[in-house]
Formats: sequence, C-alpha cells, structure tokens
Amino acid sequence: MQEVTPAGATTEPILLDRTPSRPVYDGKLGELYAIYLRHLALMILTLGWSRFWGRTRLRRYLWNHFAILGDRFEYRGRGIELFIGFILVVLILGCWAGLVWLFWHFVLEKRAMPGFGLFDLFYLSVAFIGFPLAFVGQYAGLRYRLSRTRWRGIRGTLGGSAWTYGAMAALLTAANAMTAQLMTPLVSVNLARPRLSNAAIGTQRLEFAGRAGDIYGRYLGYYFLNIFLWIVVFAGAATAIGIGGARFGIDLDKIHTLFAKPGLYTILAIVIAVLVLYTLFGLLILPVRCWWQAYLFRYLVARTRAGGVLFATALSTRHMWGFMVVNYLILLLTLGLGWPWVTHRTLRLIADQLWIYGVPDGASIRQPADRGPRYGEGLLDMFDVSGV
Amino acid sequence: MAARYYDGVTAEVKEVGAKWGIGELLVYRLTDFSIVARWRLEDIVVLGDTEHEAVPAISVKGSDARLIVEDPALKAELSRVDYVAAIEAPRPRPARRIATFGAAVVALIGVFWGIVDYGSEYAAPLVPYRLQASLGRQVRADLMAGHNVCTGTDGLAAINTLANSLASAGGLSHPVQVTIVKGGPVNAFTLPGGYLVFYSDLIKEAKDGDEVAGVVAHEIGHAVNDHPMKGMVRQYGVETMLKLLTGGYSDIGTLGSGGSLLLALRNGRGFERAADAEGIRLLEKRGLRADGMSRFFEEMMQHEPADPALSLGIWSDHPPTAERIAATRRPPTGRSAFTDKEWKALQSVCD
Repeated sequence: MQEVTPAGATTEPILLDRTPSRPVYDGKLGELYAIYLRHLALMILTLGWSRFWGRTRLRRYLWNHFAILGDRFEYRGRGIELFIGFILVVLILGCWAGLVWLFWHFVLEKRAMPGFGLFDLFYLSVAFIGFPLAFVGQYAGLRYRLSRTRWRGIRGTLGGSAWTYGAMAALLTAANAMTAQLMTPLVSVNLARPRLSNAAIGTQRLEFAGRAGDIYGRYLGYYFLNIFLWIVVFAGAATAIGIGGARFGIDLDKIHTLFAKPGLYTILAIVIAVLVLYTLFGLLILPVRCWWQAYLFRYLVARTRAGGVLFATALSTRHMWGFMVVNYLILLLTLGLGWPWVTHRTLRLIADQLWIYGVPDGASIRQPADRGPRYGEGLLDMFDVSGV
Repeated sequence: MAARYYDGVTAEVKEVGAKWGIGELLVYRLTDFSIVARWRLEDIVVLGDTEHEAVPAISVKGSDARLIVEDPALKAELSRVDYVAAIEAPRPRPARRIATFGAAVVALIGVFWGIVDYGSEYAAPLVPYRLQASLGRQVRADLMAGHNVCTGTDGLAAINTLANSLASAGGLSHPVQVTIVKGGPVNAFTLPGGYLVFYSDLIKEAKDGDEVAGVVAHEIGHAVNDHPMKGMVRQYGVETMLKLLTGGYSDIGTLGSGGSLLLALRNGRGFERAADAEGIRLLEKRGLRADGMSRFFEEMMQHEPADPALSLGIWSDHPPTAERIAATRRPPTGRSAFTDKEWKALQSVCD
C-alpha cells in the first residue's frame, strides 16, 4: 500500500492499492489451430465470404482466454455485423466508381492520354482516398472491437472522431515521409494519444500523458545510428560480394554477361547477394530497430493509466526481436499458416510483460450508455489488412 | 463453491454462490447468503460455447449481468439443468479437429487448383469477345505508351491478311489485328481479343517471309487456343487462393506469388508447345510452307547457343529451343506465305 497525496489537496492522505498483477492468457495453440483451420477451409469453400464469421470465432476464443485481475474478456461481436459493414463500404465504393466514370466520360475521355484508361483513373483515385480512409478504418475498427468487448460485463468504448483521426494520421504520416522519418516520435505519440485517451471500459477512461519531447533524444540517436549502420551494411555487402567475386574470378564484365543472359548462375548469384544483404541487415539493423521499438512501447505503456491503475512493461530488445522478427519469419516461412502461432506468442508476451499496478474501484465504473456502432470494420476490410 | 457475478451496471465483482430454486436460478452472496439475483429458467442463456469460450458466461435475455462459473463442482451441479448444460459441454479435442480440418484444407486447395487449372480450359472461351477485346486494347495501349508504332500500310496489310487467314483456318470467329512496334526485343505476343504485337527487330532478324509467317502462325495458335485468357484466369485463380490462405498479408503474398509465377511459367511452357503445334497445323491447312518456324528457332539457337530455357528449367516460360526445333521441323514444301512484294513491304513497315 502506498501513501499518495494529490497535488494541491489539503485533506487526509489517500491510500491507493497498487498491488501489481499481470494479465493471464491460458489459450492453447492446438485449440486455436482447430478454429483457424476450420476458418481456412470455409474461406476456400466460400471464396472468402466466411471471413467475417471466422474472424468473430477467433476473437471469441482469444478474448475469453485473456484475463485481467481474474476476470476474462468477452467478445460479443457477430459475423453478420462485419458482413454488413463490408457490404456498406462496397456500396459506397460503387457510388465512387460511378462518380469516377462520370468524370472520365465527360471530362477525360475525349482528351487522348495514351496508356491511361478508366481503370487507371479508378485505381489511382482509390489509392488516393484509400490512404486516409485506411486510417479512418483503423480507428472505426478499433471503436467497433471495443464496443463488442466486455470486461466484468461492462462494454468498452472509444470516443472521438474517426475522420479527425484519419485526417491527422494521413497528414502526420505524409509529413513524416517528407521529413525523412524525422517526425517519428511526434507521429507515434500523437497517433497513440487519441487511441488511448479516448478508450474506456464503461465510464473508466484511459489517460495518456505522453509527450514527443520525452523520446526525441533517443530517437535521434537511433536515427543516426541507423543511417550509419545502413552505410556499414552496404559497404560490407559490396566488400563481401567483391571479395567473393575476386576469389572466384568474377569481374564486372562477367556480372554484366550473367544478367544479360539469365541462367541458373544468375539465380544463384541473386540468392547469394540477397543472403549476404539479409544477413548483414539482420545482424546490424534489426537489433537497433528492435531496441527503439521496445523503448517506444515501454514509454507508451508507462504513460498510460486508468484512474488509479498504472501500467508498466519491461519489454526488452530481445522480446521485441521475438515479436517483430521471429513472428515475421514464422508468417513468411509458413506462407501465413503460422498466424495462430504468432497470435499465441504475442498474447503470451503481453501476459508476461504487462504489469498492472492497482485495482480499479469496480463500483465506480458504470455501464456506458453508448452501445457502439451497429456494423463494423467495412473500411478496414476494404483498405487495410484487417486481421483478428 | 464460488462463482463471480457482474451485475451489468457497474464493474463490481461479487463472489457468489448459485443454486437452482423452483423454476429459477438463485445467485447469493457467500458472506450473508443474501440474494443477489433471481433468474427465471426460461430467461437464462449461455453466452458462447466451450469450443470458443474458456468459461461461457451465464446471463439472462436482454441483461448485461453475468454469472461466471469456473469452479468444477458448481459447474457440474448447475449443468444438470438443460438451460445451462452448455457450460459443462466437453471441450472438443483439438488433435482430431486439426487433422480433419487440415485434411479438408489440403483437399480444398487441390480441388480449387484443379478447378482453376482445368476449369479455365472451359471458362476462358466463355468470356464474351467484347470483354476480351476491351481488355486486350487496354493492355495494348498500356504497353504501347512511349513506343513508336510502325505505320507502313502495305506491310501491315500483308501481315494482317496472313494472320486473319490463319485465324479463320483455326476457326476463330472474330478478326485479329497485328500491331508492329519499332525496335526490339526479337519477340511477339498475343493479347486477349486477338490483338497480336510484333517487334520490328523480329522481322529484321528473320531470313525470309516464311520465318515471320511461322511466328505469326505460332501467335495465332495462342489466339485460337484462348491462351491469353486462360493464363489470366489461372493466374487470378491462384492469386485468389493465396489471398484466402494467407489472409492477405502483403509480404506473404509476395512470397506466395512465387507459386503463382511458377504456375504461370508452367502454363507458359504448355501454351508454347500447343501454339507451336497449332501454328504448324494452320500453315499446312492453308497449304503454306511450314519450315519457317523451325528455321527461326534454329537462328535463335545460333544467336544464343547456351539456351536459357534449358538452364532455367521450371523457371523458364518457354520450352528448350532444341525441343521446339525438333517438334516443328517440316520439309520446305508448299507456297510462301508472302509474295516478294509483300515481304519487302513488311521489311520496310517501320521506314
């Protein structure tokens, strides 16, 4: 028990229970795979139309096998809600296609533009609106998922406007790209803020007190170290390939011939070059990237609280390596069939590494009046990889 | 025997006991046995099942209240009544389900692959010609962008007459159109809707009109057999399957597209063999010299003695050239496809 005096308070000190606890994930990989393989079989049989129901089943399993303070989460979404959400977005996109056709027919068709047709215009326009809409979809999807999530029977909510978030995310991401990623801390913190501080379980909102200034110093260190390491990687790769080439009597002319007339040796040369580059990248660049991501996660978690409940994580570079690199390799090498394994690993990591300090006052957290959106994730399904 | 009760109004947790009353479920505090909730039997529902939920919650219709029973003894006692029997339903054994659904996935992949591979044989010709032509025009416009197209009227008339004559011999119900692009590589290809594209370097490299006629016949062989549409249908089918299997992970898709590429290349080799055979058949049907095709391949061999198709194996989209020469070799009988005047006009089509 810790004694805390709120700033400016003159009354008696308040005693807050800050007993630490960790979430519990007790899902079994075999059970998850059984649900996933059934989902896959139905996906092939229905050409993908069963995905809304399959996704819902997987969420029900994952949510209910994850507990905080002894209380399991509950997922109450329905496949039909996701299906209708998707159909609505298809209809909206159909209207958009109609508008594009009108624009093409009355404005562009008569102006000859070789190699640029109606489909090009449509795809270009969808790519253009798809960029901000993917962010809108992410936020709206999160709102849907939280509204279908219950803890102790209480629904989750996400306030704020998905459109505002989408506009801000698109602008910040574009600005970050234009400034050679130098705005990354600003982007990370400002995109985390609405997602965290607008989220709530019942009437208990999360609070986020992160500031980009806190993490800029470390980011700049990471940024310039990253550039330096890329130079080292390319120099190393060129040297390794050069030395290897000289040893086997391969000069520039031979390399030119190798690519001018492709054969088995061309494939072999490409494989060796890619392996050398990937090995150097894996040994030098990825650990630094994992270090930064682990630091960012620790910061974002530590600056978040729910009333008197605080959060912390000791997520290390090694953990982040497992999360980012190993999970990616699992997905890549299993052609996506390792997805349940990756999800299982991720939830176990969260359960192992997230510390919750304190216990919320359950009696003061009330059921929200907001029941959330009627349908969900259509935009996410259309413009983004909408996983589970 | 304790359970957890959430009243659905606040997030307060109550440690409770539960027992069946007359036509109702009684939920009571363990401390003072005071009744917390009385649920009528007919209103009681179990949310979820033991396949997905670790602990399916007990609730009543239209309420946010939940009774969570993890204690095995209490669970067994409550589940004696049918209304909540689902909370104690045996959890499905994963090993058997994995084996069943895994086998189903593998079988369905096989069926899907079969449908795509063999079904396209029948599906591709059913695509309306108007749609095929529109697609072909679109692709041709994209490919031609930034290239000079040859406009020699007589040369184009000569090659188009030959192409249409062979197409009609092959039973093609629509006209074909040959476009000649100035420059290289030494190549030609066929697009959906009967649009043939030749590069002028191919005409320049050919020793005589019969060699070009051999290539024209080969391309018409593709058109007659609907190869462009079949290839597209197969590629689209395999990509769809990969997307279904991988959930659309973009990087996985990139790797998976290797499989799709292999299929396209296998199609390519099969299609090339079929087009060679069809081309020879059409030339002979029209009484034209059919030795030009193998002679053209022989010249390609002379230019590149180390045949890439041979060393690339399954990575090649064409069969080995030596194999094609052997398969298409014919005696120099029949009349020439082009008159001297037509051949000269074709040679200067880009001037």
